[in-house]
Amino acid sequence: MVSLEDLKKEAKQILKENKVKYIIGYKKSTNGLMPVPAFIKEPEEVEKLVWDPTCVFNLTRYLVDEKRRKTKEKEPDERPVGLVVKGCDSRAINILLQEKFINREDVYLLGVSCENTGVLDEKKLTKKIKGEKVKKVEFDEKDNFIITTQEGKTKIPAKEILANRCLECKANFPVIYDVLLGEKAKRSIDNPFESIEKIESLSTEERWTFWKKQLDKCIRCYACRSVCPMCYCDECVADTISFAVTADTTAEEKAQKIKWVEKSPVSSENFIYHMVRAIHLAGRCIDCGECERACPLDIPLRFLNRKLEKEAKELFGFEAGFDPDQPSLISCFKDEDPEDFIR
Amino acid sequence: MKRTGVFICHCGINIAGTVDVKKVAKELSNHTGVVHSEEYIYMCSDPGQNLIIEAIKENQLDSVVVACCSPTLHETTFRNTVKSAGINPFQCEIANIREQCSWVHKDMEKATEKAIKLTKSAVERVHRNESLDPISIPVTRRALVVGGGIAGIQSALDLANSGYEVILVERSPSIGGHMIQLSETFPTLDCSQCILTPKMVEVSKHPKIKLLTYSEIQDISGYVGNFKVKILKKPTYVDPDKCTLCDECTKVCPVVVPNEFDLGLTGRRAVYMPFPQAIPATYTLDIKSCPGLLPIACGKCADVCEPEAIDYDMKPEIVEEEVGAIIVATGFDLYDKELMAEYGHGKYADVLDGLQFERLCSASGPTTGKILRPSDHKEPKEVVFIQCVGSRDPELHCAYCSKICCMYTAKHAMLYKHHVPDGQAYIFYIDIRSGGKGYEEFVQRAVEEDGALYLRGKVSKIFEDKGKIKVWGVDTLSGKDIEIDADMVVLATAMRPSEGAEELAKKLKIALDKDGFLSEAHPKLRPVESVTPGMFLAGAAQAPKDIPEAVAQASGAAAKAIAILSQERLFHAPTVAKVNVNLCTGCGMCVHVCPYDSLSLKDGKAEVNEVLCEGCGTCSATCLRAAIEVKNLTPLQVNEMIGASLGG
Repeated sequence: MVSLEDLKKEAKQILKENKVKYIIGYKKSTNGLMPVPAFIKEPEEVEKLVWDPTCVFNLTRYLVDEKRRKTKEKEPDERPVGLVVKGCDSRAINILLQEKFINREDVYLLGVSCENTGVLDEKKLTKKIKGEKVKKVEFDEKDNFIITTQEGKTKIPAKEILANRCLECKANFPVIYDVLLGEKAKRSIDNPFESIEKIESLSTEERWTFWKKQLDKCIRCYACRSVCPMCYCDECVADTISFAVTADTTAEEKAQKIKWVEKSPVSSENFIYHMVRAIHLAGRCIDCGECERACPLDIPLRFLNRKLEKEAKELFGFEAGFDPDQPSLISCFKDEDPEDFIR
Repeated sequence: MKRTGVFICHCGINIAGTVDVKKVAKELSNHTGVVHSEEYIYMCSDPGQNLIIEAIKENQLDSVVVACCSPTLHETTFRNTVKSAGINPFQCEIANIREQCSWVHKDMEKATEKAIKLTKSAVERVHRNESLDPISIPVTRRALVVGGGIAGIQSALDLANSGYEVILVERSPSIGGHMIQLSETFPTLDCSQCILTPKMVEVSKHPKIKLLTYSEIQDISGYVGNFKVKILKKPTYVDPDKCTLCDECTKVCPVVVPNEFDLGLTGRRAVYMPFPQAIPATYTLDIKSCPGLLPIACGKCADVCEPEAIDYDMKPEIVEEEVGAIIVATGFDLYDKELMAEYGHGKYADVLDGLQFERLCSASGPTTGKILRPSDHKEPKEVVFIQCVGSRDPELHCAYCSKICCMYTAKHAMLYKHHVPDGQAYIFYIDIRSGGKGYEEFVQRAVEEDGALYLRGKVSKIFEDKGKIKVWGVDTLSGKDIEIDADMVVLATAMRPSEGAEELAKKLKIALDKDGFLSEAHPKLRPVESVTPGMFLAGAAQAPKDIPEAVAQASGAAAKAIAILSQERLFHAPTVAKVNVNLCTGCGMCVHVCPYDSLSLKDGKAEVNEVLCEGCGTCSATCLRAAIEVKNLTPLQVNEMIGASLGG
């Protein structure tokens, strides 16, 4: 079990020793059950830290902002940032390392194990307890969550309210860390691609209908992009201004803007946007599920990323985020790679 | 806005038969930026090219699109044409409306529509083309030849005699390859060693040739005109300068292993000279069969070596060389006998392969030229030769024809008859392929003068029975089953690329064909070039070949290499990748993906080595931030081309 006290102790220690400039973790929100990110600079603030099954967010996204801030500073603070990471989050760290976006010494990782279970899906929980106000959710030693409501404590099998991604998780403990809290418990999953296989079994027409319905909902708020730790490009292909305007950009170049994707949320453009995003995440997505969680229209975005994850696994034996030294999926090839799909 | 001229070629009826070229010309004349548009029957002809030159002058064109055949054929022609009219050659683009349109379509209306779109997209591309100058690079005027068989020897001699320094690398202890193992050669029956050894001697004495035997290519970097080669020189443990060839060492060596030169028909010692005429003439201590390099393990050879030529402390050496061109002549091996177990090869001592039979016939062979059975040293009175063993068998073995077997089997039958006048040769064949000068006559001679009995059909079973080898087969011409009590069976086993060729090809970045032979750049027009500029192919490494063909290709490869080495400088296409450092995040994906090793990271940003870059655009396609693009094929150009193709 991860002891919250241990986490606080570690956090306090590294802040006291000036090992990190600040720590990003989770703290209780002033409203509602779900926590909010905590940016902790002072040792005494560590008391705010929480760790429970509601800590769903992938905090590695904040490293993107951190890097941007740092590049602008004249005399940047070179100390690392402390970061609380779950298994999936730690794999995002590996991708950022692999792509040399960050260096290992830029982060101090407080790894927390998901204890054989995972984090919960707020919507599933609300449904399950039928609108009662939840005060607290805790892991228990087994496969249950302990829910505290006004009525008292109840045990709910974790499986029933786990976030979808946790049901298919490959590593529910950190694969890279400086301190590890909790045990390296590995949950065995019968079929990590169960949900995607259901979609795959549909006919082309059925799939088209499914995706058209889903993607037509998209209002192009780009929440999926904003929350994704891999979407760190300064300029996104989906933005109409296209290729970055920099100090060297000539007036002619500015005039030559390419509109690969139109801004308007219509079917064709929505399809292109989401396809491009999925392709750009191939071999990089570590399935933290943040895009799907952040989507205000409940588009099942994980399916797109999972499909590519499955292809990469089946065709090339590639799994993202386990080894920061491996070359990325789309930039490496082996002689034994299959090529029978080339026609 | 540019002033573009569009020229549409009929290519006789190759294009005009399917594409309404007049309509294409008319449509294009209305396209933005096009100030001149016309069609002509053969644009690549002199009058056609003059048309372009005239139009450039008359209309003050600054860019040109030629809608014709593939750019691999006439891009250079038309770029030179516009250059002669004073326009930068990179302001000329080709719209391929033949291979990509007229040849693959039937419906004229639709093909015309597609041709218009293809041409329009080329116009859009050329509108944003930069004027570029070729990248000039110096040339290292030396060559590397890999493989010391007849092909490698010929290439090395041709290069050296043209005045260029050559490094000839051979992995075995002597040059000579398989040809030195042969007895006599078809169709003239001259002694193989007698015609090859003068060339081998010439190699060894040539001041321009640096011979590295018992050596292997370890690493190659660089590019056409400037390759850097690392060669591993394995230790022979014998100093050739001190060795007096007294042969005392082999007399005391306690180890006997199969002799590769005689294909296992004889044995050799751990310290050995491959054959008497070996070049270089020296001994090699084969570390794999030697009991140990310590005097305590054996040390007998060093003890008896008076000139103290044997040096157990010899170490592998890495030789680094710089060359401008590379010829690969790694030759062939015979198809593994393990794979041909159905013919009892490797099981019965008297079932031999073609090369083993060559050794039996050879005056320098294990029986000094007498044809005797390996099992009991008796003269075989009935010998069955089987052709196409492993060749032309797409289901089980090699789909290709090994080309030389028909001829050498006829030769074997002939030589056998000359050695054993009262013997009978039977030849099982599928059909006889005897194309070549004097070849058909040679086969006829084997039948008529030497009584070789040709049986058309395949052998179904071979087994040993009372000291004979029973051969069951069928003669498909008479429809009769055949049973022969043979004294010896000789298999014309398929040729396959020599062992290690695949590994070497990877190091050199030369493509392999489906059978593992080295791929030529074009099967008809560039048969000695590999796809990698500056690397050429010679001999059986490229495809099964007989000696005259291997020699011809070797000389061809040498001529191609000389075409590079004779230049002061080479020019490289300037359509290379360019990095936008402001967008580059230094993730290094382009570095991994570049097939030419032309990218590297410098201060956290990608950097292009323009000389190595071939402009393939793989980096551009891989880069998630669109931070790298190929000159004159930028994302903006691609975008506009897509727009034009979609009719926008």
